[in-house]
Amino acid sequence: MTALDAVSIGAEEAMVTGLIGPNGAGKTTLFNVITGLQAPSGGRVLFDDDDVTGLSVHRRAQLGLARTFQRLELFGSMTVRENVQTAAEICELWSRQETPARTRTEEILDRVGLRAVADTAAHTLPTGLARLTELGRALATSPRLLLLDEPGSGLDSAESEEFAALLADLASEGAAILLVEHDMDLVMQACAQIHVLDFGVHIASGAPDQIRSDAEVRRAYLGEPVEA
Amino acid sequence: MVFPAGTSSEPRTRITLGEFIGLTIAGLALGAIYAIAASGLVVTYTTSRVFNLAHGAIGMVMAFVYWQLRVEQHWNAPLALFVALLLVAPAIGLIIEATLIRRLNPNDTGMALVVTLAVMVALMGIAFTLWPQTKGRLLPVFFGPNAHLSVAGQLITYEELISIALAVATAVGLRLFFFNTRIGIAMRGVVDDRQLMSMNGRSPAMLSALSWAIGAALGGLAGILTASTYQLDIINLTLLVLNSFAAAMLGRLRNLILTFVGAIVLGLLDAYVVGYLKLTGWLVHLRPVLPTLFLFVVLIALPAVHLRSGTAVISRAIRIPAGARSLGNGAALVVLAIVVAPFLHGTVLGNVNAGVALGIGALSIVLLCGYGGYVSLAQYAFFGFGAWLFSEVGHGGNPVGLLVAAAAGAVLGAIVALPALRLRGLELALSTLAFGQLAYYMFFLQPEVMGRSDLAIPRLHLPGISLESGDRNLIFLSIVFALASAGVLALRRSRFGRILVASKDSQVAVATLGLNLRLSKILLFALATALATFGGALYGSTQRLVTADNFQYVSSLFIVLIVYVYGVSTPGAALAGGLSLAIAPLLAVHIPVRFQAVTYFMTGFGAFVLLGRPTGIIPAVSEWLHDRLPRRVMGHTGGPPPVVVPREPSRPTVEVSRAAASDA
Repeated sequence: MTALDAVSIGAEEAMVTGLIGPNGAGKTTLFNVITGLQAPSGGRVLFDDDDVTGLSVHRRAQLGLARTFQRLELFGSMTVRENVQTAAEICELWSRQETPARTRTEEILDRVGLRAVADTAAHTLPTGLARLTELGRALATSPRLLLLDEPGSGLDSAESEEFAALLADLASEGAAILLVEHDMDLVMQACAQIHVLDFGVHIASGAPDQIRSDAEVRRAYLGEPVEA
Repeated sequence: MVFPAGTSSEPRTRITLGEFIGLTIAGLALGAIYAIAASGLVVTYTTSRVFNLAHGAIGMVMAFVYWQLRVEQHWNAPLALFVALLLVAPAIGLIIEATLIRRLNPNDTGMALVVTLAVMVALMGIAFTLWPQTKGRLLPVFFGPNAHLSVAGQLITYEELISIALAVATAVGLRLFFFNTRIGIAMRGVVDDRQLMSMNGRSPAMLSALSWAIGAALGGLAGILTASTYQLDIINLTLLVLNSFAAAMLGRLRNLILTFVGAIVLGLLDAYVVGYLKLTGWLVHLRPVLPTLFLFVVLIALPAVHLRSGTAVISRAIRIPAGARSLGNGAALVVLAIVVAPFLHGTVLGNVNAGVALGIGALSIVLLCGYGGYVSLAQYAFFGFGAWLFSEVGHGGNPVGLLVAAAAGAVLGAIVALPALRLRGLELALSTLAFGQLAYYMFFLQPEVMGRSDLAIPRLHLPGISLESGDRNLIFLSIVFALASAGVLALRRSRFGRILVASKDSQVAVATLGLNLRLSKILLFALATALATFGGALYGSTQRLVTADNFQYVSSLFIVLIVYVYGVSTPGAALAGGLSLAIAPLLAVHIPVRFQAVTYFMTGFGAFVLLGRPTGIIPAVSEWLHDRLPRRVMGHTGGPPPVVVPREPSRPTVEVSRAAASDA
């Protein structure tokens, strides 16, 4: 079965790029291919114009790729703080960090808004906070490309707005962010550019307003019949 | 192929066609038995996603049940086979599935391995009790002693032909079942998507139970065929699981056709090696390890597995004592040893000494399994290697010998880890079991090592301090254990410790954070194996005389189980485990001969504790005490207590958001 067919998607630095599409569109598969968890049968993954297709998962991370997971991959037996700290410590193994891991951990906890639950065991967190913990962990590696797989699920509307602001803030610092999300409000609010996938095929790209009015997108994603 | 030295000078016997045919049929017959066993293993694994380490043990029990009915009760063969294979075996499979397997999280490979290992050991204990190995048992051949064919001057027994015919029948039957029956198709569906199946109204639990019933029946059939061709031996029949695992690995435990191919290759390999090679000298024990060698070749040839997301295990946090606390506990242990040592004498003192030494080696299990999440079933091989090295290097008990043992252990561990890097937890565990078996036959049993006579090992001699008396040695070992366990805890509190535990919780996550899992795995294996060989050297020095029997590969199963029972993430469990194993034989003196399999019962049935208390006895007791005793007494240290609220992964929330998205 082909999960992705001739999909070509880019994410520019200092910008939030959205990736939307119905369930089974191949969004998570694309993330897996980009991060090296799945090998593509063809095609290439370029990062800063360098071909990283043959590199291992950890080598790509060391180049500045980080991600969160739709199906959570938390360090369940650790606290939220330890989750972020361990990520910062892993990062210390492969890159020179001027600030000690502990200090960076505290900064990230504040930034992502996890201070209140810092000492809570990660496996007891509600989904929204668990996803933020994964984000905090990814940030601990100071990524240049951040892949977020449905980070908004589990957030209420106020949290969702804060989250969009956080994304804008991160992008303004120069990171490229690729956001997979079902919460259309969040996508429209946070993204400057949006790509749409349907059954592994790239069907549209454009600014939020263009996507909103694209007939093909409405048919594939919102289930509306295409008017003849 | 390796030929034993000296064959070149002898005239080679001409290989006749008849011989070749005879050997080929014998090989096919053995391969047929492996194929039946291995296909049972694959059916169970693919449907329930739990690898049945007890597969061979079920086959073994069924062979004895059949013997009981056929020989002791004088039933006729068809009736005995019907009852054994179609009633008792499926019932055993169903009971194991319903009481144990259903409660496991298939993603938690470690726990699944430990629980099925416990079933295996418990079944062995039951077999040793019901059918003591003091008398030989034989199964009658199926159609009488004169039932055989003659092809090109070679005798071909009906047993061999029956095995081959049954393997063909199994292959055809499984194919028809999986492709032509609704329930078989549903079982294949479970493999692809469990959730989807349950939404379609098929209960994955029911299909999983069915797969265990089928698996047990096939295991039973293979067991009975093995026993009627070879012999009724509890350990050899149980290890049928290793042989069938080797065959099934060719199809990566999923592909039945490749599994059959692997089984036939194995069977032929056995027949030709036995028929054409002179197995003398150090090759004398080659035959039982052939499947292991085959397994290693397959494991090296297979492509490495990819990391898979969505397999994170939610493990519970346990309290890690702070540095001062762990040193305090160690000091208490040493004081206890000083107080108790003068009251212990003779065998008891000797066994307690051995237990503490084993405890030091068992700390490697805490590192490897508790912190790293890798189940290793070869620890006794490392103990034996350490003991042997100390006898070679530690002349006059020179402590440098201990360091050499540890350093060599680190190198050995790194080498063992190399192929292990490519493997998943399950494959790794089984290949360590295979490694333990290989080490036993090809190393410890060699006359130059400890196969022919007792190996004398000097008692450790520290400058100015004599450890010749047992009580002094006990105090010394307690000090070493206290320091080593404080070291293990310090490592757990370090950056490396956090990275280990993080890797155990989610390999995918640490890799996407930039961790080179290979390096950390090699480092962990090197450290743990160094600790194991170091402990083994102390064990040897404590025992003074050892034989290959001291390092039986089955013992590796006991020690891993017992450490899990006490709490695999707790260094204290290593000591408790080592002492329990060393002291169990002393109890055996006081109980009827029939119930001598104390160790099997203690470790096998003991491990079922884990279903209720996954963190083990020691953490459970310490939590209990912590809740009941005043804070002052417990000296609460180290961070706030972990919040332990068992929760399911929060998938429903994701579903809700999807629904919301499609409404948008």
